[in-house]
Amino acid sequence: MNEPEPVDLSPLDPERDPQRWTLLMAATRLRVSEAVRRRSREADPLAVVTQWARPILAAAATILLLLGAATVFGVPGMREMSQARRLAYLTQSSVLRGQTPTGAELMAAMRLESER
Amino acid sequence: MEESDADLVLRVRRGDGQAADLLLERYMRACRAVALAVTGSEADADDVCQDAFVSAIERIDDCREPARFGGWLLQIVRNRARNLLRHHDARRTDRLDEHAVAEGRSPDQETELEDLRERLRAALAGLPETHREIVLLHDLEGWKHVEIAERLDLPPGTVRSHLHHARRRLREILGNMGTER
Repeated sequence: MNEPEPVDLSPLDPERDPQRWTLLMAATRLRVSEAVRRRSREADPLAVVTQWARPILAAAATILLLLGAATVFGVPGMREMSQARRLAYLTQSSVLRGQTPTGAELMAAMRLESER
Repeated sequence: MEESDADLVLRVRRGDGQAADLLLERYMRACRAVALAVTGSEADADDVCQDAFVSAIERIDDCREPARFGGWLLQIVRNRARNLLRHHDARRTDRLDEHAVAEGRSPDQETELEDLRERLRAALAGLPETHREIVLLHDLEGWKHVEIAERLDLPPGTVRSHLHHARRRLREILGNMGTER
């Protein structure tokens, strides 16, 4: 096969306009480095925990507020509610300390009210 | 020795921005060549290759065979370029005029160069898309047959044959335009 001579395609070379090419590369590099950083942040297990911890804590705080209000206004069945409140409080403070509540703490939270 | 694509991909997955830079240096021109082969517009090719490369880095975990990163990336470029063509605004103005202010060239030189570009783009438009990609990657980007074959997932013999036909057809079209030099 007689190979035809290549056509000169250099007018289409992006670096014929170095300024434009440099700008394009710089802009792309910037976006790429941001993408790498974003990926790293998303892959960080601590970041994942932090993302979940906030809504959980907010929900726990709301429950505590409602239970507190119910206790103050003497809603029937408050013994169980009070136990739930103490359990929620115990769970929340354990999350904040980064520890799991011990069996003894859980028992104490549930027993206190029934002993009254 | 040049670090392999596979190693660079693994480094990017671990959050190494420098590895992403190396991949960018290695493939940006090829991305642009493929984007140009599909869109036929240099301005569109610039946009497509940038977006496609960023998207590839964002989705780097989806690259199942890191050793074949190049082929995977060029497929993303191809898809993006085709999407752009499909959704292109009918009122699009050709932004290639941006070249008119390129540094160091007189307006006459610039007009002549733009005329040449226009003829080349028109000639390339007369080729099938795969032929355009191959001729641009080989004759503009300097890739070897085997490199193109790997990245385009084609047998080297097919690449050689496509290149042959692409060059011959380009010469015919340019000859008919009366621009053969």
